[in-house]
Amino acid sequence: MAKHHVTTTINGNPVEYLCETRQTLLEVLRDELDMTGTKEGCGTGDCGACSVTLDGRLVCSCLVLGVEAAGKAVGTIEGMAEGGGLHVLQRKFLEHAALQCGICTPGFLVAARSLLEANPDPSEEEVRYWLAGNLCRCTGYQKIIEAVLDAAREMREA
Amino acid sequence: MLTRTKDEEKTLKVVGTRPVRPDGEPKVTGLAQYGADFSLPGMLWAKILRSPHAHARIRAIDASRALALPGVKAVITGADFMEQPFEYVGPERVAVNYWHMTRNIMAREKALYEGHAVAAVAAVSPAVAAAALKLIDVDYEVLPHVIDVDAAMAPDAPLLFEDMITRGVEPAPTRPSNVSKQIDFRLGDADAAFAAADEVVEMSFKTAPVHQGYIEPHACLARIGADGQGELWSASQGHFVVRAYTAKLLGMEIGNLLVHPAEIGGGFGGKTVIYVEPVAAMLSRKTGHPVKIMMSREDVFRATGPTSGASMTVRIGVKKDGRIVAARGVFRFQAGAFPGSPVMNACMCAFAPYDIANVHTTGYDVVCNRPKAAAYRAPGSPISAFAVESVLDVLAGKIGMDPLALRLKNAARTGTQTAYGPKHAHDGYAETVEALMKHPAYKLPLGRNQGRGVASGYWFNGGGESAATVHINEDGSVVIATGSMDIGGSRASMAMMAAETLGVPYEKVRSTVADTGSVGYNHVTGGSRVTYATGIAVVEACRKIIDDLRGRAAQIWDVNPSGVVWEDGHARPASAEVGDFAPLSLKAIAAKRAVTGGPIVAEAAVNAGGMAPGFATQFCDVEVDPETGAVKILRFVAAQDVGRAIHPSYVEGQIQGAVAQGIGWALNEEYIYDKNGRLSNAGFLDYRIPVASDLPSFDVVMVAVPNPNHPFGVKGVGEVGIVPPMAAIANAIQQATGTRMTELPMSPPRLLAALDSAEGA
Amino acid sequence: MPPAQPARVVLTTGFSQRHTGGVKEFSVEPGTLRGVIKAMDARFPGLGDILEEETTVAIDGEIHEVVYSQPIRPGCEVFFLPKIESG
Ligand code: FES
Ligand code: FES
Repeated sequence: MAKHHVTTTINGNPVEYLCETRQTLLEVLRDELDMTGTKEGCGTGDCGACSVTLDGRLVCSCLVLGVEAAGKAVGTIEGMAEGGGLHVLQRKFLEHAALQCGICTPGFLVAARSLLEANPDPSEEEVRYWLAGNLCRCTGYQKIIEAVLDAAREMREA
Repeated sequence: MLTRTKDEEKTLKVVGTRPVRPDGEPKVTGLAQYGADFSLPGMLWAKILRSPHAHARIRAIDASRALALPGVKAVITGADFMEQPFEYVGPERVAVNYWHMTRNIMAREKALYEGHAVAAVAAVSPAVAAAALKLIDVDYEVLPHVIDVDAAMAPDAPLLFEDMITRGVEPAPTRPSNVSKQIDFRLGDADAAFAAADEVVEMSFKTAPVHQGYIEPHACLARIGADGQGELWSASQGHFVVRAYTAKLLGMEIGNLLVHPAEIGGGFGGKTVIYVEPVAAMLSRKTGHPVKIMMSREDVFRATGPTSGASMTVRIGVKKDGRIVAARGVFRFQAGAFPGSPVMNACMCAFAPYDIANVHTTGYDVVCNRPKAAAYRAPGSPISAFAVESVLDVLAGKIGMDPLALRLKNAARTGTQTAYGPKHAHDGYAETVEALMKHPAYKLPLGRNQGRGVASGYWFNGGGESAATVHINEDGSVVIATGSMDIGGSRASMAMMAAETLGVPYEKVRSTVADTGSVGYNHVTGGSRVTYATGIAVVEACRKIIDDLRGRAAQIWDVNPSGVVWEDGHARPASAEVGDFAPLSLKAIAAKRAVTGGPIVAEAAVNAGGMAPGFATQFCDVEVDPETGAVKILRFVAAQDVGRAIHPSYVEGQIQGAVAQGIGWALNEEYIYDKNGRLSNAGFLDYRIPVASDLPSFDVVMVAVPNPNHPFGVKGVGEVGIVPPMAAIANAIQQATGTRMTELPMSPPRLLAALDSAEGA
Repeated sequence: MPPAQPARVVLTTGFSQRHTGGVKEFSVEPGTLRGVIKAMDARFPGLGDILEEETTVAIDGEIHEVVYSQPIRPGCEVFFLPKIESG
């Protein structure tokens, strides 16, 4: 099986990898690059655990091929904390106990960050609809929503 | 033995606060390692071939073409595992039959459900392993199948086991059937007592099988060496139990298997059992390489434990004043392909919130061609509560009584006789009902197509075996280690209880989950037992450490240990007579550890009893769209007796999560089978669990009736919240539409059909 | 000294049908749970192991795992019930 040589940017760093045509970006991140922060909950685009950004757009990495990342900028959970400190959203998730098992958390954080980039002042309903592509079976979502709204508030005030 | 502590008067400094959990940062940065996140040099990937048939005899398996594929290292089938004796071992309800277990891990004579593992391949990459699966030839003789529980109990049903004789019936039946076991609980004489009732209602109900729906598929990594020793990284609710089961199926000594607890991405009972661990271990033994297995989501749905679907008949009689005089329940539960549904729990919990003199419950554990049932949050109780709490609602309507008032009138209290045997030893139920009666929203008016429904629930809560180790480090900081998997913040609650006991700040205590070689046995994280039982072990270990520290302070001061007390994290002289010594901190004593006897460490192991049950009462407001049959949850108020919340945020989170699962169970979730017994909705697209936009914010009311048997009054909180929602929602739908739903899920098409037929009638 | 008031052992219907010929209640000497189990085993050889392995015990309603050292007070009710499963 001939592999493709892909040149891309992940979390701001230049990265090169070899991948098979059929390998998803999720598989490349996890199995080839050892970036296991991005999780697989379904592999079919239904749970959001694998959320990453591709040129700033929120995508399910299980629905993107590894080769499609060529020349693009990939953003994963591993790139969310900046300069030794947590991102506001990460801090608010901890303060609000917005995770129980935590398997959904990387996906929610990446998705919530892209929400707040698009809409810095979302209503509760807007948050609930934006995050409707991310499944959480533990929390009933309430503390996640509270954390996102609180983070939005703090980021607006900053 | 437990130390009973009355700490009401004592001010708690740490317990009841909401600090950040110790394992939080790795979980928000993506660094925490879950079951699928481990790898080792030289690692192989395994995939499992699954039966496409619901019921089939396996005539032969030919793996030669797969083995010829470059990159394939081994293929195993059921024949690679040693045979296990046919016997039920351990307590009746949780009896394990290794003859069944090894066949569930890998089919032998027959495939008993679509998705049943029949062979597994280890190869150099996932792609090669997947390609090899297609090259394994299995010769099946397809057999007639049965899935529905009533159909499986019919006299002419296809039999899963041709020699299964129902247990629990005297004299034993002579003909085999799919009924694995029958159980009965009786109190008083229910049949006779119905005559004294003013109103009697009998109804039948059905519930669909639903999956726990944890977001992390099962995954593990195994390494078994030629020396017979092995290691396993696995995400489970109990790595000690994983070790015991895996060692048994592989014929290993328990001590030769070291299990590392991966972080667990949700379990809800479904990860108290094993699926992939023995397969990975066997492939590793065969190839000499580490082997990793990750289930796909489809595998999770087709092959791991949903809870039972059920068919039930419940009859309750009341006096005009609301007094319940008699209750009868018959509960028929799907066990799946092997015996062991939670029907006994269903029978025991069904009427447990109430003081009823005459109760008779009967349960049937029925095998059928569907994956074997695994525990799901308060296993069994939500199913029987759906029936019981629905019938109570109908009765409240008949006698014109408020449904909460009806429940309060019959509330079980300390000393109330249960139908399954002992008397209740704890209060807490009536308090949850009263909390809702006082709730301002309970009296709010409702609009068109809206309704309000009430229901209650009971769950035993667990205790049992736990061990904990506490170390005072060289600098006076504290490490505690337990073997209880942290599914939702238990490292935090353990650290908080330790900090409170030792009198040090939370930040001084580091809380870890240790591997099977580093701490004593801990039973699974399940049954809402960890904060209770493992918490007691942690507190006991801290008390031992305090005794040790007092002794060391006495040495330093050269006084009698009885002259030293421990207060606020310091050793102090008990009185002025002992001497005028400045208090010694943990740090000061740790600095003298060498001269006072070496490392400061204590262990405690308990088999904890005295746990109090969980009681919950909830009401919800719904709006039904008469055009589509869609139900919108407008409001959900959940009252629960929590004993005392160690970390209130995580207690609220347990209740919120349980309610959300209950709403999914009530309105959407179900296993849908086609005519060949194949699951049609094995994915999150078609098996739809609630998403954020489906739900409102819930109003959690924590009722606190502390349990005196726990040093901080803890009661288990993880499970009972899932018991009431299905009935509460059905009762609310009834009020909104006048239509009584008796089958779950109350999905839009089913509700619409019911509304239409009510209209036509 | 008058003899201590005995403790009362109670079994479920199903359990008693299987193991004690349907007899559901017994009188035993108080002391510890070990003593109770020994007394039951003396009456029904083999029952001790079954009680230890298959049951949880409710002492005046308070649920405990079966642990030998558990104190059994005079006059109390010792109810052996099936162990429960956890989620
Ligand atoms: S793993 Fe990609 S959406 Fe679920
Ligand atoms: S915290 Fe477990 S799935 Fe969201």
